Amino acid sequence: MSDKFSRRDFLKLAGVGAATTAVLTGCGPASRYVKREPYLQMPEYNYNGLSTFYATTCRECAAGCGLVVRTMQGRALKTEGNANNPLNLGKTCARGQATLHGLYNPNRVRGPIKHSRGDRLYETAADPFNDDFNDSEANMNWDDATQAVADVLKKYQPGEIAFLLGMAPDHLFDLVADLASATGINAPVRFGALSMFESRATLSQAAENLFGESGLPFFDVGGAQAVFSFGANFLETWLSPVSYTRGYAGLRQALTKMRGTLVQFESRMSSTAGKADEWLPIRPGTEAMVALAIGRLVSEKRGGTIPRAFADVEPADAAAASGIALETLEHLAETFASSGAPLAIPGGAALGQSNGLAVAEAVLALNALADNFGKPGGVFFSALAPNQASYQRPASAREMQEFVQKMADGKIKALFVHGVNPAFELPASLDFKNALKNVEQVISFATFPDETAVEADYVFPDHHGLESWGYQRVTTGSAQPVLSGAQPVVSPYYDTRATADVLITAAQLAGGNFASALPFKDEVEFIKSKVSNLMGEADGYFSAPDADTFMAYFQQYGGWWKTSDGRSTPNSAEALNRDLSGAESEFTGAGEFFFIPFVSPTLAEAGANKPWLQELPDPTTTVMWNTWVEMNPATALELGIEDDDVIRITSDAGVLEAPVYRYPAIRPDTIAMPFGQGHTAYGRYAENRGVNPVDLIGQHFNEAGDLAFAGMKVKIEKTGRKQLLSRLESIMGVYGVGLGQE
Amino acid sequence: MIDLKVTEIKMGEEHVGKWGMVIDQDMCTGCQACVAACAMENNITFVGEKDSGYGRSMHWIRIERFWQGEYPEIKMTPNQPMMCQQCGSATCEPVCPAFATVHSQAEQLNLQVYNRCVGTRYCANNCPYQVRSFNWRDYKRPEPLANQFNPDVTVRRRGVMEKCTFCIQRIHKAEDKAKSEGREVVDGEFTTACAQACPATAITFGRVDDPESLVSQLARRHGHGVKHLEELGTLPNVTYFKGG
Repeated sequence: MSDKFSRRDFLKLAGVGAATTAVLTGCGPASRYVKREPYLQMPEYNYNGLSTFYATTCRECAAGCGLVVRTMQGRALKTEGNANNPLNLGKTCARGQATLHGLYNPNRVRGPIKHSRGDRLYETAADPFNDDFNDSEANMNWDDATQAVADVLKKYQPGEIAFLLGMAPDHLFDLVADLASATGINAPVRFGALSMFESRATLSQAAENLFGESGLPFFDVGGAQAVFSFGANFLETWLSPVSYTRGYAGLRQALTKMRGTLVQFESRMSSTAGKADEWLPIRPGTEAMVALAIGRLVSEKRGGTIPRAFADVEPADAAAASGIALETLEHLAETFASSGAPLAIPGGAALGQSNGLAVAEAVLALNALADNFGKPGGVFFSALAPNQASYQRPASAREMQEFVQKMADGKIKALFVHGVNPAFELPASLDFKNALKNVEQVISFATFPDETAVEADYVFPDHHGLESWGYQRVTTGSAQPVLSGAQPVVSPYYDTRATADVLITAAQLAGGNFASALPFKDEVEFIKSKVSNLMGEADGYFSAPDADTFMAYFQQYGGWWKTSDGRSTPNSAEALNRDLSGAESEFTGAGEFFFIPFVSPTLAEAGANKPWLQELPDPTTTVMWNTWVEMNPATALELGIEDDDVIRITSDAGVLEAPVYRYPAIRPDTIAMPFGQGHTAYGRYAENRGVNPVDLIGQHFNEAGDLAFAGMKVKIEKTGRKQLLSRLESIMGVYGVGLGQE
Repeated sequence: MIDLKVTEIKMGEEHVGKWGMVIDQDMCTGCQACVAACAMENNITFVGEKDSGYGRSMHWIRIERFWQGEYPEIKMTPNQPMMCQQCGSATCEPVCPAFATVHSQAEQLNLQVYNRCVGTRYCANNCPYQVRSFNWRDYKRPEPLANQFNPDVTVRRRGVMEKCTFCIQRIHKAEDKAKSEGREVVDGEFTTACAQACPATAITFGRVDDPESLVSQLARRHGHGVKHLEELGTLPNVTYFKGG
């Protein structure tokens, strides 16, 4: 796009002038060049005091919710949900709201940088809240940066070049995948800590084992009458939190139907379990057995033959092993059996154990017993996005282990990293940082100065999500197939450049296969080539007479989706006719406590650098700005531990120290810790704050290759130190209780 | 059934509200989206770990949760979003020596006039809901964070009390627009930042004096609304459905 191209010219060309005066104004490519002006100076297209709204996609997690961003004078002021987008219907989560604190974060990578590995990307200061500390200056120009990428592409054999991308199946993934298939470089690997904690590989593997077809299951919580969740934290970060929260609201909606029940099996009460009618503090590792026992009790109540899947389990044994009384199991079975629309969901820590796959299978089998596949309130395969042929899941932890091993063995000589921070998100036991030393060239496209960027040779920063073009496939959460569209809502604040543009230009410079693989002028042309073929598809939310108009609508509405249901029904014919294992999981480590890491509902994997996310109280403990260890008050009393006492936790993979929060809703034999803090870089608000529980996780996997992150036992000891946690709850009506005396 | 419009006369006062909220605690998941949305809309500052530990965080809305019982029979009480209840007979108003916290007759809201406030904090001491927050310092928002400021909302400085305004800038914008088009504001035409963000639709905002508004309809359908600390005679304009 030429920068001489004004917005008005574009509108004339696209021929949708009338449509763009609507509130959800679609903006032409020229919006990229909207300049920030003093508030007194109004550009020609703006009325005094009126805002301009742009539809785009939230990039804070991989769900792909639609946003409408209010802007004024080239500044983004507020994000709201896009009411048209079927995934989130106008709603957002806290992270979507705080995305502006990423855009205007004081620590961003401001331009292309060549630096020595390990060097900081910004200066430190004594007090991050009152001292200024500046980002490193860019020391390259983009021409040299693009040439450097081209040189790397030419210098190494295709098999020695690898791309590590974020979890979201977006346009950049498509671009790199196209490049890879044309040139023979390694296919791009998608990974994120969320996919690790969600055990996505286990979910799709279990579906394949039971239904003979791989895919990401979608659980229709909204239509169900009784939801049995085995560890699935679907109101927090799981798969598509905004959509599942809407489902939860539907479950509880008591005005048009009976209010639905939620039963949660979890060793600690997550904020999802906090909303449950019944929370069952199950002994970790016995989830499969309990699911099968409930299945057996339900079948017995119904009479007839017991399906093979539930034949081998003895409910009394399950009760003894899990710590749930047999009467409770029977009453739960009664609830499940008598409900009009029962639904069972596997997820969270229940799958992150050595028997995680068996848990997922056993819980899916409960749905087979309820025969709820493809029915309202039941289980579906998620709708595939409009330009998607089959479900492509992110890499499992075992695949990441193999990837890191290839790096360590020197088989990967050039590594490109975008949209993920493996030096922070991967378990320390995989030793990503050491493996990185054997990679000759590491190029990071990080927007923020994260831990992986620090270990890179070059940092070629991509725009922030609100400054960039793109699209993202919605993998689950919406009944309709959705392709969420992204466009810049403000002009780039710094000298950053879209990674897709860098790769397209570098491929041209590299010539040969590379140039012919990406024959595009720029990122926008690439996106157009991928999106405009949707123009002729049936059931579209909108259609258009020509490609330019279609693209204008694509921007205006924030994507393209079908109006029809795209979910498919799993084939459950043989699901119950197989042996399922109810064996308990195996735990590694010698300690006396089960250790349950969970994703912080407010920070998730990449929220720690946004100050307002740090200041959001955790929904269950109300702790802000730090990491805590949850411990049952009875256990703490026995051990002589009080709130804020720092304890040392030792697993077979590492040691961490963190202050205790006496949490009344956790098993006495379990301790838990949120994931999200513990950064050693990533900007002033994230750095040196809390600890990272992945440092304790060893290389243990379940049968599907997902990390057995909850399959550990740990030792704890007192350190004698105190570290005062900042929390909201202590001030409610109580003055003088806080961080001690000033 | 609770009448949203007229709170029962207990203190010899009658109050006809205008704007009000209904909050379904059974829906609220405690996800904090409203808290973040409120902070972004209203230029609320963050205060950092130390000051928030002293209880100086500036949340205009917070999610309260309490515990019932002991392990293993423990339950979390339904999440309770708590913000300024925009009382019809507000305890914060009569104690302000500077008339900084005054009642708007036009909107039936409790206003906070920042440039009148001298920081006595009497209002916060007298608020039974503990929803007022005080700017103990000029908290630093390093560049370029200030680019995100909403130009419709005043940025407060040290020594000033602040609280939820029911997004009065949005109310005024909608009223101005309706006036210029020669009509009344339509129910649902705009909403507050918290209600707009809420993924569980637990928060609904609207006219309590209009029997056809969504808040009135919800109140009729639920029929078991509760006003907090009603016995104090504060005549709040926020109604809670305990749910379950």
